[in-house]
Amino acid sequence: MRDILQYVLDGLSIGSIYALVALGLVVVYRGTGHINFAQGEMALFATLVTWWLHDKGLPLLLAMVISAALAFVGGALIEVGLMRPAEKRSAFAPVVIAIGLFQALNSLSGLLFPKSGQGLPFPSLFPNKPDDFVKIFGASWRIERIGVLAVVLAITALLFVLFQKTKIGLAMRTVANNPASAKLVGVPTNKILMFSWALAAVIGSIGGALKAGIDTNVSIGSMFSVFLLASAAATLGGLDSPGGAVIGGLSLGVIESLVGNYPKNWPVSEWIGIETKRAVAFVIILVVLLLRPAGLFGSAKVERV
Amino acid sequence: MALNIKSGSTMHWVLRALVSVALVVLVWRMVSGADPSSLGKYTEAMALAIAAISLNLLFGFNGQISIGHSTFAGISAFFLGYSMRFWDNKPFVSLIEACVLCFVIGLLIGLPALRLKGPYLALVTLAIAYVWPTVAAKFIDRKVTPVTGESALTKFRVNPPTWTGLKTTREDRALYLFWVALVLMAVCYVIVRNLRKSRAGRSLVAVRDNETAAAVMGVNLSRTKTLAFGISAAMAGVSGWLIAAKIGTVDENSFTILNSIKYILALILGGVATLTGPIVGAFAYYFADDYLKQHAPHWDWLPGIFGKGPIASFLLGVLVIAFVFIAPQGIVGLFRRIGRKIAVVQPEPIRPEPIAVEPTPSAELAFDGPLHQTIPQPIDEPNL
Repeated sequence: MRDILQYVLDGLSIGSIYALVALGLVVVYRGTGHINFAQGEMALFATLVTWWLHDKGLPLLLAMVISAALAFVGGALIEVGLMRPAEKRSAFAPVVIAIGLFQALNSLSGLLFPKSGQGLPFPSLFPNKPDDFVKIFGASWRIERIGVLAVVLAITALLFVLFQKTKIGLAMRTVANNPASAKLVGVPTNKILMFSWALAAVIGSIGGALKAGIDTNVSIGSMFSVFLLASAAATLGGLDSPGGAVIGGLSLGVIESLVGNYPKNWPVSEWIGIETKRAVAFVIILVVLLLRPAGLFGSAKVERV
Repeated sequence: MALNIKSGSTMHWVLRALVSVALVVLVWRMVSGADPSSLGKYTEAMALAIAAISLNLLFGFNGQISIGHSTFAGISAFFLGYSMRFWDNKPFVSLIEACVLCFVIGLLIGLPALRLKGPYLALVTLAIAYVWPTVAAKFIDRKVTPVTGESALTKFRVNPPTWTGLKTTREDRALYLFWVALVLMAVCYVIVRNLRKSRAGRSLVAVRDNETAAAVMGVNLSRTKTLAFGISAAMAGVSGWLIAAKIGTVDENSFTILNSIKYILALILGGVATLTGPIVGAFAYYFADDYLKQHAPHWDWLPGIFGKGPIASFLLGVLVIAFVFIAPQGIVGLFRRIGRKIAVVQPEPIRPEPIAVEPTPSAELAFDGPLHQTIPQPIDEPNL
């Protein structure tokens, strides 16, 4: 029981990072109806910028803030410079741009930070020495993990306030619901889309830094699997539901952690191990999607004939 | 003013003959005097083309996106290696078996796909592509390594049969596989082309354009969609078989999500929902990639930091992005737009008295929807 509590907590903290990146995906999806394949690599690039600033002597928190500000500008530029003109050209253009961006950003990271191929040492935002933990109900809860979870929940709460209580959030929801009508009633759709991309980039930069902190290093390949799991989380929760993304991400982390620690003496355990835990997570998602084709909290699109 | 060519007229036949001659010359130029390594590249490009054709059938004509096609290629590649090494099967027997296997698995995956749409379907197929390497690694661990002691399926060779007069040297094997690839690609092309022009193909497109409307018109939705998935999966299997036959070694990392993304790029760059698009796109993508990999690291004029590292991969990404702006409807779309200014092939009207409709070069025509059977299409695919 104590062990299970431990695994659940470990799962929650890694899941919170999936949740964060998934939130970035949802923000873009709601605005544009496309999955941003480059979300993970945008996060990777921002994380490397954070690393570089920190390496130059800035404190980590300041480096993260500056990197987030740069990500905001970068995300907005990607939307204005690439996505918006591409959108007009063909239905598949945004997908291709995102894939191209994925490849270009990944290689650009390798070019600008030549040592990132092997992995660069990355500091954690929270104390992460071996004895930095508190005991609650007999399970040791590492302060770093609690910290990450708390940051993610705080960001989620902020996003909730942004979506539900502010004018810009209202405009974002309008655009998500029906871009054409939103434009007709005077919502500055273009600005909202630009803001969505910028916001997604910022969320990605924070998520990337937290992930790198947990891993204590950042390498070129590290964000691809995060992107995959985040997109799985977003789909599980429903691509247009921010709350769903968070719940999807957290439950994905917990499932992964529980399956990864599946007892060795139980049935079929030889087929389940550390490396199959993600496979099991994806199978569970498949089952959920079969029962609820638009995700747990997503809204099904009603089609007009 | 564009030249107006009636479908079936002498001019049209001359045009067709010219295109055929050009293609024969192209193939002849590829083969004559080519060394094994460039023949191998053509073979790989054609394997990519087959995968893109299969994806075009599913995505372009039926509207179902799949990021899981690398899995079918992987299954088929493993099947070739395993059946040749462990059951002493003939390569072509294993091709047929692998196709049947992929078809069945494709049908099975097509069933849940019935309930899922767009990005949700993309994710489920992505999950399949993501899970495949772990399954493949387990398979190698349990079935291959205990017997061969190696962590991959290795050393299976597809040798030319004796009637071809080719020997089992590296050169002759490359030549043989080139022809095999060409024939397989042609077969896949013809299958998709004939499907597209038949009743089945029209129901595929109807389902893509509007499921509800298609169902109302009497299209059996579930049968159409699962069959499309099955056929497409079998074709992706052909592609994987070809790659495995060419390389002779497969392991769990031979077919990953990145391969699926490559198929999608090849298809979209060539032109979605066009018949020749996947082939053109696959060759363009493969050789752009190949050219950059070979030459970009030696370009001295690039500024300092760009001189080393993954510069080829970066430039490919930039090229892909730039391409969207140069040819948003794919390479075939671009050529259609240019070709339309030179000559227009008017298909024979379906009604005896055609409605007078000016051929309008609109962007929509790239997606030849069901409506266009009554509208004279401005340009036809080069019918071979």
